[in-house]
Amino acid sequence: MKNKNAYIAIGIVCVVLGAALTVQIRTMQGENSAVAQAFANSELKDSLLEWKEKSENAEKDLEESIKKLEKLRDTSTANGNSSEEKQEELKKYNQILGLTDVTGEGIVMTVTDSAQSSTAIDMNNLIIHDSDLRSLVNELSNAGAEAISINDERIVSTTAITCAGNVILINGNKVGSPFTIKAIGSQASLYGAITRAGGYTYGLKARSIQVETKKVNNIQISRYTGALTQKYAKEDK
Amino acid sequence: MMIISIIVGCILGVVIGFITPTIPYTVSQYLAIAIVAALDSVFGGIASNIKKNFDMKVFISGFFVNAILAMLLTYLGEKLNVDIYLAAIIVFVGRMFNNLGIIRRYYLSKISEKSKKIREKDKK
Repeated sequence: MKNKNAYIAIGIVCVVLGAALTVQIRTMQGENSAVAQAFANSELKDSLLEWKEKSENAEKDLEESIKKLEKLRDTSTANGNSSEEKQEELKKYNQILGLTDVTGEGIVMTVTDSAQSSTAIDMNNLIIHDSDLRSLVNELSNAGAEAISINDERIVSTTAITCAGNVILINGNKVGSPFTIKAIGSQASLYGAITRAGGYTYGLKARSIQVETKKVNNIQISRYTGALTQKYAKEDK
Repeated sequence: MMIISIIVGCILGVVIGFITPTIPYTVSQYLAIAIVAALDSVFGGIASNIKKNFDMKVFISGFFVNAILAMLLTYLGEKLNVDIYLAAIIVFVGRMFNNLGIIRRYYLSKISEKSKKIREKDKK
């Protein structure tokens, strides 16, 4: 008889155990538990690494293809004067489009977020926004810059400078402060446009953003690494 | 007999668990501790039953007092920002393994006795 009681008692505790387990599992299914979050995090890290590798591979492929293309152009225009002229023309247009590495005199600007971190001032004024970079590029273009790059992102005809949270996207790539803006063109006119009284950098300095402008004689600006393609615009005949 | 009561109890429990609504997230920590306490009680009950010293009062009071103390420790740990419930879990799981060892030895010796008897019969 005593034995039977033991079985019943253990059975009752098992009922409690089963009910509690089921309720617990049903509750945890809907929640983001710490374990589930850690799993999600490591999965995200894995996929990030994968994509990074893929993008690196793609960049390598692109470089190889560009080299191949140059070789093909060289061989196809190896004979004949007219084709040599065409080759020169092609090179010139590629340079204007920003598809070649270029060197020349110009200015180098370093623009850094404000070192102040006061809560009394509007934080928005202390950091550099995409609109600031757009205005600077605009100013440089207006002063006759022939090639511009920001943190080695070449500004070309299709370049967009957009805001993406706490970073800025240029050509779809992330850049952050400090920004190094290189511009090739007439040193005097570029320097004058940037440092003139009431110019855009005046406004930046008033917001305590650090702007440093230097005249440099031998600036190297690397080419645009993306692809310039047009799908909808057709040539007029 | 023992296995039947455990299985029937668990099935009943799961059915009840599906009927009852889910609990808020903050309470689930306490329920988890209660689950571990219940598991410990089940193993302890089976082991003491095997040792033939099962006492209903000890079993029931052990289940409730252990579960309540573990929940109190969890609550205290939450207030002190120390995971004290880990200590309760370690003790419970350690005891579970101890009791499992007792249960295992009992059934192993039973099986070996049976096989011995069969062999002796064969010899005769």
